[in-house]
Amino acid sequence: MAYTKPIPDPEQYINKPFWDGCKDGKLMLPRCLTCNRVHFYPRVICPHCHSDQLEWVECSGEGYLHTFAVQHRAFGGWAEEVPFVTAFIDLKEGDRMLTVLRGVDATKPETIKIGAKVKIEFEAASDEVSIPFWRVV
Amino acid sequence: MPNNPSMAAAIVGAAESNKIGYIEEGTTATKLHIEAIINVCKQTGISPSEIEGVFSAGFSAQIAEHLGIHPRYIDTTAIGGCSFVMHVHHALAAINAGIIDVAVVSHGESGFSARKNRGNGTNRATGDDRWSVANQFEVPYGIAGAPSNYAHAMTRHMHQYGTTKADFAQIAVVTRDWATLNPRAVMHSKETHPAGGKITVQDVLDSRLIAWPLNLLDICLVTDHGGAVLVASAEKARSLRTRPVWVAGAGENTSHSSMLEMGDFTATSAAASANTAYKMAGMGPGEMELAMIYDSFTITAAITAEMLGLAPRGEGHTLWQDGKAGPGGSGIPINTNGGGLSFSHSGMYGMMLLVEAYRQLSGTAEDGVHGIAGKQTSAKTAIVNGTGGSLSNTGTLVLVADD
Repeated sequence: MAYTKPIPDPEQYINKPFWDGCKDGKLMLPRCLTCNRVHFYPRVICPHCHSDQLEWVECSGEGYLHTFAVQHRAFGGWAEEVPFVTAFIDLKEGDRMLTVLRGVDATKPETIKIGAKVKIEFEAASDEVSIPFWRVV
Repeated sequence: MPNNPSMAAAIVGAAESNKIGYIEEGTTATKLHIEAIINVCKQTGISPSEIEGVFSAGFSAQIAEHLGIHPRYIDTTAIGGCSFVMHVHHALAAINAGIIDVAVVSHGESGFSARKNRGNGTNRATGDDRWSVANQFEVPYGIAGAPSNYAHAMTRHMHQYGTTKADFAQIAVVTRDWATLNPRAVMHSKETHPAGGKITVQDVLDSRLIAWPLNLLDICLVTDHGGAVLVASAEKARSLRTRPVWVAGAGENTSHSSMLEMGDFTATSAAASANTAYKMAGMGPGEMELAMIYDSFTITAAITAEMLGLAPRGEGHTLWQDGKAGPGGSGIPINTNGGGLSFSHSGMYGMMLLVEAYRQLSGTAEDGVHGIAGKQTSAKTAIVNGTGGSLSNTGTLVLVADD
């Protein structure tokens, strides 16, 4: 079935290893060689210590639910999915990502637990682009 | 601070466009800008040709051209609804440096008419960068518009402090009470809007869910609005027929641009911008007699009240409890125009904060109608804070009345 929701157009100058990783089913993020911290979204400089000595590392794909919202109004392909849960995920390695959270009941927000363990999964939106999503485990 | 600019400049006039709110016949951003500037010039007796600096959210050269003036100070800071509060900060700095004596801060936004006009007449930059942080990492997840973002902060506040949807709903109720005293407020009464007039906490909780935990009545309006204030040097301010409202303190700050980088979802840079403003003014939150706080959402107002030092962390909403922040309430009056929630909010609300703060402190807040007492308070000091972006950027002013 065709993917009807927005498909990112991968920026190739800074983000290429991230998007290539998604295609391979891996969460690749930049890690600072000076302070050892991982960050997202990818930068040309470490936002923590401002070193420009960075390397790409494969992350665990594990994290915790930091906060969420239930979207009852959306546009384009997402309009057909309402209500759905959007969430910010605290990565095990540090820093945070946004996702549409899977494995929860959007009609019962009181049952969704902040701090819940989540795991990454990748959906092939097209032949070229896979998008990371997170699921409560 | 080598040279404290406190009181070097005053807001000497404040006006709106001829019409505001849901303008049935339609309008454009340019028309709203220029009407407001003409009105504030008439109010103060300052001719457009006397304006030396033009400050607006991205459109200053076009405004100057439309007015037929050649200003020698141009500022186009456009980082959301807080921009106008920052423009006053920047105008204060330029005046204090002796570069200019008279500045206009101008706002015009056809948030309501844009739909009727098929997206034209907004002065907004068009085109969408597919490689932006938002389009790479937010839009793919159905994030669209401010409510979809801000709701995450409200959930986290509820988790961290045990606040409830009803706590936040109370802010909308009290803000609506102020709107019933402002005949220009969209939600003033059933005569101005079918859903206007007083509301209850239950009304807020029963209104349509937009992005849980935000219901429709937790969310600001989308209107047409133009506004302008003139900022002048102390000497110029004292020569005018209008009453000056002095800029005692000003500050600004940014903590992030994308919500991905918002470290603590229950805190904003308003703490930092307010700290700067209080320090410049030599005053503190306990001395503030009026608060004009950006209420894009009830959660924005609650968090900001905490950041401004008006309430402890997690307790911002208590300022509104039992109508304390409302007309005749026992606490500090907040958002006496009816707020972005019930007065007018065109997309960027900062100018409305400035106009109402000027009116309150110059004793020219509009009288009520229908036999209801006016919204004029006895406040002689005000804290004004604007928030822009995704709880990202903040500007704060400490304003004091002329004695």
